[in-house]
Amino acid sequence: MPGAAPVSVVRVPTLGRWVFLLVPLLVLPVPFLVNRYIQYVLNLILVYVLVGVGFNIVIGNLGQLAFANVALFGLGAYASGILVVHAGWPWWTTIVPAGLIGALAGILASLPALRRIRLFYLAIMTMAFGELLRWIYIRAEPLTNGSMGLAVPPPVLLGLRLSSDRSKFYVFLVLVVVVVLLTSSLLRSRFGRAFMAIRDNELAAAAMGIPTDRYFVLAFAWSGFVVGVAGAMYTALVGHVTPEAFNLLELILHFAVVMVGGLASLAGSVIGAIVLTTTPELFRSFPGVQELVLSFVIIGVLLFLPRGLVSLLARRWSVFHERYYRE
Amino acid sequence: MALLELDDVTVRYGGLTAVAGVSLSLDPGEVRAIIGPNGAGKTTLFNAITGHAMLAAGSIRFRAERIDGLAPYLVSAKGVRRTFQNGGLFGELTALENVLAGLHTQVPTGFFGVLFGMPAARATERAATSRARGLLELMGIGHLADKPARELSGGQQRMVEIVRALATRPPLLLLDEPAVGLAPAVREQLLGVIRRLVREEGIAVVLIEHAIEFVMTVSDRIVVLNDGKVIADGTPAEVPRNREVLEAYLGH
Repeated sequence: MPGAAPVSVVRVPTLGRWVFLLVPLLVLPVPFLVNRYIQYVLNLILVYVLVGVGFNIVIGNLGQLAFANVALFGLGAYASGILVVHAGWPWWTTIVPAGLIGALAGILASLPALRRIRLFYLAIMTMAFGELLRWIYIRAEPLTNGSMGLAVPPPVLLGLRLSSDRSKFYVFLVLVVVVVLLTSSLLRSRFGRAFMAIRDNELAAAAMGIPTDRYFVLAFAWSGFVVGVAGAMYTALVGHVTPEAFNLLELILHFAVVMVGGLASLAGSVIGAIVLTTTPELFRSFPGVQELVLSFVIIGVLLFLPRGLVSLLARRWSVFHERYYRE
Repeated sequence: MALLELDDVTVRYGGLTAVAGVSLSLDPGEVRAIIGPNGAGKTTLFNAITGHAMLAAGSIRFRAERIDGLAPYLVSAKGVRRTFQNGGLFGELTALENVLAGLHTQVPTGFFGVLFGMPAARATERAATSRARGLLELMGIGHLADKPARELSGGQQRMVEIVRALATRPPLLLLDEPAVGLAPAVREQLLGVIRRLVREEGIAVVLIEHAIEFVMTVSDRIVVLNDGKVIADGTPAEVPRNREVLEAYLGH
């Protein structure tokens, strides 16, 4: 404005990269303080952190109603399990292949969107993709052992057998830190900016020289990679992969992790994973109450905090301001 | 040599001919206004130039090179940039991030360089960020840099959108109703910005506008569109005296 006094730019301190080291360091001693059951739940949280982080790229950053996440998760889990059981690969060598299978499936799921199939149409098509895969898991018996599920031996890392949940925890922690760090770098770059530009105004994004189709595919591919890695972790954690684990109810859980945590927020995905994994476990001894409480958590949070639980933290502590997350 | 040449450009939507055989040519550093009643095909003509609408016939040349049939991102990369009628900002991104997105093609960081946080990629990103900040400051809106675009006023959004379009120093800028809804003081400021761009950077500007006195002061030539056709093309002194123009506007 002409004549307006120049306002000094106050830069809000944002969630710095140091949290990627600080938070994991803080949780390092935790496995020595908890029992085996809690340890299992903590491992499950780590799996769901990546499930949420991956899903959030497509629905939060790219802003697409694409629900192939359970398909990506299942393919990652089966890819890892099949490579271990049938090809005899040590588990750790299946992590990247599981991610790549997830990325490929992600690219496949993005193809309808490139033909301008969006919104409800994309939503139902990607959900159908997940159900189709479940049908395949059941029918491809020689590989998947059908509806009985594939029993996978304890994971092996560089010749070491990870038979305890405590040892799995540390391996998972490293994986989560690395993948979240890479995702954060991607989202803070011109690539992440292009995703969000497409979300907010696709025509204008193209007018800025952004090849929108290419970024669509890239966002889905990276999302698929992250969720595929989560799948490999899931296989290592439960040791038994069944088609039932990848049904529509599981998809609702993935969706809730992102929404309750916070759309387009990495910290939100972590918080969402913690809340949605622990809530049902807290009420495990009260059968029938679990689902009720979970539903109330989802409805309650979104009613009062539409941008997720992370908005509560961001409001109170400025360190929770992420660069591309807006309350 | 003409910067932009439209030859017999025709755009059809279903049975409707939105732009019907428009030919015009624009020189570097020229300010051209396109006026005409609602539904005359002004925005469609912009969409045809930027690749957002397909041509049914005709050709478009930019610096003697055919650009019709190119995807919008390629037209943009060649140096044709635009703003949008109803505001084309990325609402959740800040003003600064909007300008950075505008610089997309000039932040040549690679996927793996970014992923692994290579020093070169970080330096490129930092350089782009300070350049974007500098551009906002140059336009006198540096204090808005860290505000989400959706929280800015209409006039502020218009300015940010223009900065974003100009970030790559394009030879041609298309402005779709830049002055509509602006307070007189902001309108004056916008006028100053356009004049400075033309004088200092030699940028050619095509603008669609209804605010007639704005058009009269800023443009070198005015094109009048009606029913998708050019009914007048002349200086601000000539056009208001044109019979067809009076008929189109006054309906007699």
